[in-house]
Amino acid sequence: MKKIMIVDDEPGVLYTVKTGLETIADDIEVFTMQGGQDCLDHLDEINPDLIILDLMMPGMSGWTVYDQIRDRKNFEKTPIIFLSARTDDIAKRAGNFLADNYLEKPVDVNIIKIRIEKLLEKKEEE
Amino acid sequence: MKTYFSLSLKLTIIVVAVSAAVIFSLTLYNISEQSIDFENIYVDKAKDSSAVLDLLWSDSHSNNTIANAIESVKEKNNISIEYIHVFTTNNDSLTLLFSTNLTKYNTVHGKYIFHSINTSQVGKIKSSQNAIDNLQVIIPINSSENITGAYEFSFFTNEAYQVFQQRTTNLMLISIISLFILIFSFLYLLRHFLVKPIIQFRDTAKIFGQGNLDTKINIATRDELGELASAFNSMAEDLKKSREKLEEYNKILERLIDQKDAFIGQLGHDLKNPLQPLVGLLPILIQQEENPKMKKHLKVMNENAQYMKELILKTLQLAKLRTEKISFDFKDIQLHDLVERVITSQLPFLEENNIKITNLVEQSTQVNADPLRLEEVFKNLITNAVKYTPDSGGKITISSEQLNNSIQVSIADSGIGMTKDQLSRIFDEFYRADSSTHGEDSVGLGLSITKRIIEKHKGQIWAESKGPNMGSTFYFTLPKEKSGASK
Repeated sequence: MKKIMIVDDEPGVLYTVKTGLETIADDIEVFTMQGGQDCLDHLDEINPDLIILDLMMPGMSGWTVYDQIRDRKNFEKTPIIFLSARTDDIAKRAGNFLADNYLEKPVDVNIIKIRIEKLLEKKEEE
Repeated sequence: MKTYFSLSLKLTIIVVAVSAAVIFSLTLYNISEQSIDFENIYVDKAKDSSAVLDLLWSDSHSNNTIANAIESVKEKNNISIEYIHVFTTNNDSLTLLFSTNLTKYNTVHGKYIFHSINTSQVGKIKSSQNAIDNLQVIIPINSSENITGAYEFSFFTNEAYQVFQQRTTNLMLISIISLFILIFSFLYLLRHFLVKPIIQFRDTAKIFGQGNLDTKINIATRDELGELASAFNSMAEDLKKSREKLEEYNKILERLIDQKDAFIGQLGHDLKNPLQPLVGLLPILIQQEENPKMKKHLKVMNENAQYMKELILKTLQLAKLRTEKISFDFKDIQLHDLVERVITSQLPFLEENNIKITNLVEQSTQVNADPLRLEEVFKNLITNAVKYTPDSGGKITISSEQLNNSIQVSIADSGIGMTKDQLSRIFDEFYRADSSTHGEDSVGLGLSITKRIIEKHKGQIWAESKGPNMGSTFYFTLPKEKSGASK
């Protein structure tokens, strides 16, 4: 069972990704986090294999959350997928190194699943 | 090119013509007056001499007396007399009575008709044609009111004529000099009062044209030019005011446009989140649903959700392309390879529609463009061509041509073609040549986006069609490669 954590301020998005992924994949369990603080609070406890992170969130922005996740030793190498409505922001701030790791909203859950599988495979190879 | 005739030149020509005419006619009048004076001197001399002669020989008419009288007259005169003839009347004709120079008389025609020398001709000159050398004056002999004869005096005029001629030459010289003085003073006045102000107007107008409306014309003369200058200055003032107003409106407009773009951006992004459940879950529902009727409903819902997604993404893309901020990554690209890449990526779509595509772009053709955006241009144009080539077995041909400063690319299809009205509107936002087409790729923004991308490359895009069912061809231009490495 792979543990996926999704962080977003939109309940609709959280619901979609959780329900969708759990419907089409038997070996995925999705934990929904309402906002960055929620994510950081439960990170150690859940210990996810992969995190899906929204960038535009009120309060703590996705970039701050990203930095704080990477600051924790256990999660230095955890794959993170950015799921954002603002693609231009990502391109501007992160350059091309994120090319594999971001998805633009709205996105077909099947595509999220494919991306998750790809990243987890890559991680296992390492 | 038209020859330039300056105002001063034109006015100068007019002034020269007019003053020359005036001065020369005055001079000529003066000369003719003087020449009459010149002749009158001899007429007076002749009159005086005839009066003396009358007195001297009135008593006895013998030749001897006449000769003596003439000698004394000749001596008295300061002017040299060539000859004197004396005639008497004889039945309406004149007979020579005495001559100081008979040879001279004979060479002249012999006889004078008496009535040709009547009282009204007293003091007249016989002929002034030879006046340069000598001049003849005929004076009637008066004795008790009846004309009984005539004298003919012939004077040497050579010396006097030279004096007269000298005077005439001087007069002409003075005329020419005064003409020049007149012209030069006129030119000076012209320059000072007309040309200089006009040049100032011209230069100021040029400065106005460059947008500097603060310049003023400094002409305070109380005449039409002064009025023109003040009208000019107040026009500049008015222009400045209205320009300031326009700039103000422009700023407001720019702010509104910025707000609109920001609004579209915000709205677009805000619409993405609520669309996530639809776009995210509908495909899964379709996969899981077993009831065919329900499956069909879900498919319709999914198609519309996809359409909405496409609409939002394309609108955002277009809004972004409209702003100046967006940066393009220009590189020298091999056009043939890029087209080949796009064709490969579109192959499933092309095969699905049974359309054959040919890449005729030459290997050596290079352009300076943003590769990712250029790929999108080709993708959009191919998609468009396929969409309007409904009969299977259609053909699309992509080719390029070297122009002077650019590369012209053409994408020709064998599809349904376009009418003139359609041709003029296809690049408009949300315009669809065929309003029934309704798929995720046809939100009506593809060609608008394409056009904007081409414009950002400083190129042009247009379409041509010979008419319905004759196919369409899209053309666009791209800048040539920068490096200039091609042979």
